[in-house]
Amino acid sequence: MFLRMIKGAFLRQKGKMLMIALTVALGASLATAMLNVMMDVGDKINQELKTYGANITVVPKAASVLNNLYEVEGGGLAEGAYLREDELGRIKTIFWAFNIVDFSPFIDTEIELDSGNKATLVGTWFNHHLDLPTGETLDTGVKNLRTWWDITDGAWLDEQSINHISNPVMIGSLLARQENLGAGDEIKLKTRYGEENAYIIGVYEAGGDEDHQIFAPMDFVQDLSNTDGKLTSIEVSALTTPDNELAEKAAKDPSSLTIKQYETWYCTAYVSSICYQIQEVITDSIASPVRQVADSEGAILEKTELLMALITILSLVGAALGISNLVTASVMERSGEIGLLKALGAQDGAVSALVLSEVILTGVVGAAVGYLIGFGFAQIIGQSVFGSAIEMKLMVIPIVLILVIFVTLAGSIPAIRMLLRLRPAEVLHGR
Amino acid sequence: MSLLELKNVSKIYGELKALDQVSLKVDTGEWVAIMGPSGSGKSTMMNIIGCMDRPTSGEVLLDGKDISKEGNKNLTVIRRDKIGLIFQQFHLVNYLTAVENVMVAQYYHSMPDEKEAMEALERVGLADRARHLPSQLSGGEQQRVCIARALINYPELILADEPTGNLDEANENIVIDIFRQLHKDGTTLVVVTHDPEVGEVAQRIITLEHGKILRDEKNRNFGS
Amino acid sequence: MTRRKMFFRMITASLIRRRSRMLVALLAIAVGATILSGLVTIYYDVPRQMGAQFRNYGANMILVPSVESDAFETMRTVDDIMLNIIPNEQLVGVAPYRYETVSIHDQPVIAAGTEMAGARAASPYWHIDGAWPSKSGEILLGGETADLLGLKSGDKLTLVYTPEISDETPENENLSGQENGQENAPENADQSGQESADEADYIPGSELEMEVTGILETGGSEEQYVYLTLKDLQELTGSAGRLDVIELSVSATREQLEHYAERINMDIDMENVTAQLVKRVTQSESTVLTKLQALVFLVTAVVLALIMICVATTMTAVVTERRKEIGLRKALGASDQSIIGEFMGEGLLLGGVGGILGSGLGFAFAQYVSMNVFNGSIQFQPLLLPLTVIVSILVTGCACLLPVRSATDVDPALVLKGE
Repeated sequence: MFLRMIKGAFLRQKGKMLMIALTVALGASLATAMLNVMMDVGDKINQELKTYGANITVVPKAASVLNNLYEVEGGGLAEGAYLREDELGRIKTIFWAFNIVDFSPFIDTEIELDSGNKATLVGTWFNHHLDLPTGETLDTGVKNLRTWWDITDGAWLDEQSINHISNPVMIGSLLARQENLGAGDEIKLKTRYGEENAYIIGVYEAGGDEDHQIFAPMDFVQDLSNTDGKLTSIEVSALTTPDNELAEKAAKDPSSLTIKQYETWYCTAYVSSICYQIQEVITDSIASPVRQVADSEGAILEKTELLMALITILSLVGAALGISNLVTASVMERSGEIGLLKALGAQDGAVSALVLSEVILTGVVGAAVGYLIGFGFAQIIGQSVFGSAIEMKLMVIPIVLILVIFVTLAGSIPAIRMLLRLRPAEVLHGR
Repeated sequence: MSLLELKNVSKIYGELKALDQVSLKVDTGEWVAIMGPSGSGKSTMMNIIGCMDRPTSGEVLLDGKDISKEGNKNLTVIRRDKIGLIFQQFHLVNYLTAVENVMVAQYYHSMPDEKEAMEALERVGLADRARHLPSQLSGGEQQRVCIARALINYPELILADEPTGNLDEANENIVIDIFRQLHKDGTTLVVVTHDPEVGEVAQRIITLEHGKILRDEKNRNFGS
Repeated sequence: MTRRKMFFRMITASLIRRRSRMLVALLAIAVGATILSGLVTIYYDVPRQMGAQFRNYGANMILVPSVESDAFETMRTVDDIMLNIIPNEQLVGVAPYRYETVSIHDQPVIAAGTEMAGARAASPYWHIDGAWPSKSGEILLGGETADLLGLKSGDKLTLVYTPEISDETPENENLSGQENGQENAPENADQSGQESADEADYIPGSELEMEVTGILETGGSEEQYVYLTLKDLQELTGSAGRLDVIELSVSATREQLEHYAERINMDIDMENVTAQLVKRVTQSESTVLTKLQALVFLVTAVVLALIMICVATTMTAVVTERRKEIGLRKALGASDQSIIGEFMGEGLLLGGVGGILGSGLGFAFAQYVSMNVFNGSIQFQPLLLPLTVIVSILVTGCACLLPVRSATDVDPALVLKGE
């Protein structure tokens, strides 16, 4: 009979129940959309912040300072002052390999131009194709790490498609102006180990000292500077978690941590733990965070996440109040029916159970529909803001469900209490 | 000329003939009771007389004017100007005081006038309860407010639908006394009821059955 | 009593005497209005507040000497002119730099003279192990230099300035610099060394005792320098305060920055100064900030749309409940227009009150968010108050209109006869 009454209520009050379901669906979709976006916003913003370039640099342990301050004539470096090219792939094998978005090796050498002026030639990857031991593939290089470069003449050097051109290079805008060069020109590059003609594919404007340099593919520079298989530095762009106290403590000295702390630290994507893991796989290297990028990233991520969290809380409160309000309003509306049930001898408990199960059943149906709609909204936000899908977080489902049930309960109970206080006769006489 | 005249009025809901070729006349100052068991067509007749519904066929003349073809808007205007309604369930606005409920009728009719509204309440013996909300009034008191509201605009016809249906005997008698007084003052009264106690005090009793007038007779006991 | 008076008497009676239901409606509207005003306030303030966060990335504009002149005269002149172009409240940090080659323990090192407070404001990402130099005679060592020299915080050292040494210092273009501001450093340091050598020929070299207060860690080329106050560097070299570069951290959009740079470059009073944008910072900032703003915009739009519908359904439910009353009013002879008028009047009053309430709460929320997320107060948008009230009234009005209209369409007899 109970079920029959509920069924009856649904059939006879289609309009009203539909309205409750609609509002619950709206509220639930709001909650779903906001929770999904909130939980994913960190990753998304992190991706966006990659436009600032690498947040970790790796240099050889053996006195990078010596390199920079004394051996600038190029070439005459002691053994061990270089990183090994064959170890590069290992960066994608560390614990947080998945968080390594881009990386690129660099080899610098001093060259002499036709005019007799000296310049720095940088060998690197542009859009290098990597087949990883894990079976994955990765296209990485300075094209991703120097998003702020403007190509003022010619085009980006494309490693995949320029095999027919011998010795392609890109040249900085200031150097190009100084030497009166442009895309399509030939340029003679001379080191103490030999000289080569190179072909200028593009001129870039970097807004920094790279405007005085020449960028060329790795092999070409290694040949010219007699440094086969050697690197001067690696830039790594990784998705990181903002630093906290533990991370700062670990960054100073990982051995000062307890085993438990160490594990937590090692298994969290702090910039310091990623650096530490890179040092583990690259022989004789020092990986250090680029503070300008890493710190700012942390600050911005933290702020964005907090902002989104607060907006989410506001929307959840709004959705909750919206739902419970409507439930209150529509339960109150049923005073006549409840009075009748009571007049027929229904106990308060039975009446409450009837109304509650109706409302909650409606709520759950609404929540299911709302979840789907909300997920759609999250995708719209993801696609239009970040151009990528928002990841579906399973955790959202129970949160939304509990929220809806709790909220519909909270909305119906005061109304039911109010109705139960009424005397059946009064209600029936339409007061 | 009669105040109200029904000429061959029928009201058909699908298969059901709620009213079947009914004709009757009510003169000014008459007190008419319309009686009959439920399903006899009382309510339908009351709705048609009260300008809340239109007959399927036939003519309804109020003050000599046929209202059976009028649109909703005009019916509302006619109802407002000529008819006072008394309901079984009182239908007071539950957030307005007694006097305010009376004033609502004035408001829609012409001008609200609190003094006049108070006088109307006095006539039904409720002057001291004027500031109370419906929930603070007894059923009988609520019905009296409803009557005062029906009277306030001096309608040509008072139409009461089961006016004592929700009242105990004491209150029923109060309401009947008020009706007597109204009749004495010359008000035209049409009371729809299935309660013989109420019906049999009227001047003229019309009995309906299956949508037809079964009897239409003067009450021999009237006034006793 | 006039009709209008009765109209308001009925509306207020309905609002006051049906307290619990009206509270439900008012609450719904107030929540909607709170969310509207709160989110819109945040939406308008996010670029400003987030922009401030992006200043963490450091300088986004640098002033360098024009090609013809090789150095600024003094900080002061530049300062004065700056004020006319970049509003003071947008200027987060100004850090002047002067580079000279000096030696510590007979090792050549590039010393940068700066104003510590300015450097600190312009480069918030500098990690100092120890403390910032606070007075004359204190020095900050770049991490790499400190390693090379084997020095740590608290150590004493002697800075030696020998004009001749600059000739032996190679052109340091190999510095894999992260900091764009220092691109001119080696070159200028070189030239200035020669100049000073000419001026101060009779001084074979000067020395300065310094105490190391901290080690600078940035992960960039700054770690190769040592930092001391401009005054100390002046004393050491014996030459007046000319500067190689001034770094500016300006809280402004990319368009504004471009505009400022253009104005500085056009200004005749500053013909010896060239302004450049630090592309990496400005470009990336505008990319990320645009996305963030779009995010908050979309979120605001979605939340508002859903909440407004929620408010509307609640209002609809509240009004639907009163079908009977509408039927009664019709039976009493009320025209459809006057019924709609009364209900709308009630709804609009509710919408207005809820809107005002919500504006206040929304601003309080935005302020709370701002204080917690950005540690700063939020700007009150005066236009938002009428906007919130108008939107609340519109939403409430529309939500009431539908059920009232459908109720007036129904035969009063049917409504009054019971459900």
